Amino acid sequence: MAGTAVPSTQFNRDELMAVAAAKEVRDGEVALIGTGLPMIAAYLSKFTHAPGVTLFFESGIIGSTPKHLAIGVGDFRLMTDCAKTAGLYYALSLLQGGFVDLGFLGAAEIDQYGNINSTTIGDYERPKVRLPGSGGANDIASLAKRVVSIVVHEKRKFPARCSYVTTPGFLSGPGAREEAGLRGAGPVRVISNLAILGFDDATKKMKIESVHPGTTLEEVQDNTGFDLIVPETVPETPIPTSEELRLLREVIDPDGFYIGKD
Amino acid sequence: MLEGVAERAKARGSCDRGEFMPYRNLGRNRSRLRKKLIKEPTIVSQPTSVNKVISMREAVESVNDGAHLTFSGFAHSLAPVAVVHEIIRQGKTNIDLSSMGECWAADLLSGAGALRRTRLSNYMFEGYGRCMNFSRGVQQGEIEVEDYSHFGITSRFMAGALGVSHLPTKVMSGTDILNKVTFDKDKFKKLDCPFTGEPYIAVSAVKPDIAFIHAQRADLDGNTQIFGMTSIVDEQARASKRVIVSVEEIVDRKEIARRPELTILPGFLVEAIVEAPFGAHPAGMFRYYNYDDEHIQHYWKASRDPEAFKAYLDEYVYGTEDHWGYLDKIGGPRKLMALRADPYLGH
Repeated sequence: MAGTAVPSTQFNRDELMAVAAAKEVRDGEVALIGTGLPMIAAYLSKFTHAPGVTLFFESGIIGSTPKHLAIGVGDFRLMTDCAKTAGLYYALSLLQGGFVDLGFLGAAEIDQYGNINSTTIGDYERPKVRLPGSGGANDIASLAKRVVSIVVHEKRKFPARCSYVTTPGFLSGPGAREEAGLRGAGPVRVISNLAILGFDDATKKMKIESVHPGTTLEEVQDNTGFDLIVPETVPETPIPTSEELRLLREVIDPDGFYIGKD
Repeated sequence: MLEGVAERAKARGSCDRGEFMPYRNLGRNRSRLRKKLIKEPTIVSQPTSVNKVISMREAVESVNDGAHLTFSGFAHSLAPVAVVHEIIRQGKTNIDLSSMGECWAADLLSGAGALRRTRLSNYMFEGYGRCMNFSRGVQQGEIEVEDYSHFGITSRFMAGALGVSHLPTKVMSGTDILNKVTFDKDKFKKLDCPFTGEPYIAVSAVKPDIAFIHAQRADLDGNTQIFGMTSIVDEQARASKRVIVSVEEIVDRKEIARRPELTILPGFLVEAIVEAPFGAHPAGMFRYYNYDDEHIQHYWKASRDPEAFKAYLDEYVYGTEDHWGYLDKIGGPRKLMALRADPYLGH
């Protein structure tokens, strides 16, 4: 990676997360992207190690050029200079047809098996808060070959079990995805503002993969509603290089819409 | 059968061998004449003078209380907001809504108290926040919901469009989307593939009474064209019993015929056309105008509080006589011109 490592005072958490998420994208793949940091990360990957990746959106916008930042997956800006427009059924059927290597999700609430809730807080029939609903998230998590989620790390967003499972991680544990007939490997990474997390092969429970510089292991566990699996040695998340930061700050998000805050 | 022949012969004047032969000697030339008639090119039929254009008022008058409706829209585009405004003005109630993610129709109807129940995958004002009118309605027990994923509910429309009773799919399986069923007894069935035995989810066809679609343009015959992404308009239209299309502009058939690949709905699917320029506002229409950020912020703020939203509806919907009145209210020509799309960018 070109550029030198940068002292930790010179980047913020959003930038760190975007850089970490960008590393999940592999060149030549087909990736289904959500808005916000997933879009920033996907664009960064296309400018760096994955120039041949195809980025598409559930709205039916396929092969977007990584220069037009958008407020959502239906933003007209994504259509400027894109390769193909289609309908939503076409776009999401690519998942079922086995064409999608990577699905990038934003999650409000994720549990120890990587299941996500975006439907209700409280009782489903008479909820305290009615959330937007699945959207394409359930489809992506059911069928993409692998899934990466980006989540804000707070205890109430990391419950032991979601009160309503909108989007499948490993459901109730080992074997459950297979029994439900789902395809793909399921969630492989969760990127939060405190750590990078993965899933234990045997138990399918969430584990720590690296902790961000400036964050302690205790902080990560304190902000999680269940016991995380901790490896013997806990690496530190790699910090962004000057080139990655330049791309983020000057090319992709110069107005700091998504990466301006800490 | 030979009646028109003489007239046509006269109209063409005398002709050479190889073209039409005047039948002075009908008896002798009968068999040769018959062969000529068979070889003669048929007269190309002229386009009929069909005109499917009706008024917005008339289009919405045909909606019954309790009707099962579906609306076009994805995020801040393709939304038939002008139609929804008229539905609210005419006081339609108890709407049964089948949706993928058509947030503008859903939230407006929720805020007006017109929505009884809905099948949905996702209602969200992306870039701004939740659909607050809808959320509040559900939280207060006023709106029934049946949850799906995008691909799940769209598969129901696709089954309706394809004329099959169900479609197999892999999505929603194992989650609370299927564990929790409220009003939709036909939501799904588990299905083992009859060939391989692989487990699938079968979703049944959904067939709304009316699909209200907003598109960029159509001709008088109802041949409808959309630029850019098309959401699930194709599936919604073919699955619904009636299709009413509102358009930014009505164009000549020859213009449609210049780019037939843009035609998403051939005219025979479309019952009626309504002219509604800026009819998606505050959502946008690709290549015509962008979404209105300022107005959406205003709307969203008002939607957080029932009293404030009532005031919003009084000002912009009940307080305007029709769509033209609404366009004056939101800022008139100066505002609309500022929203117009750049030809290259599309927004």
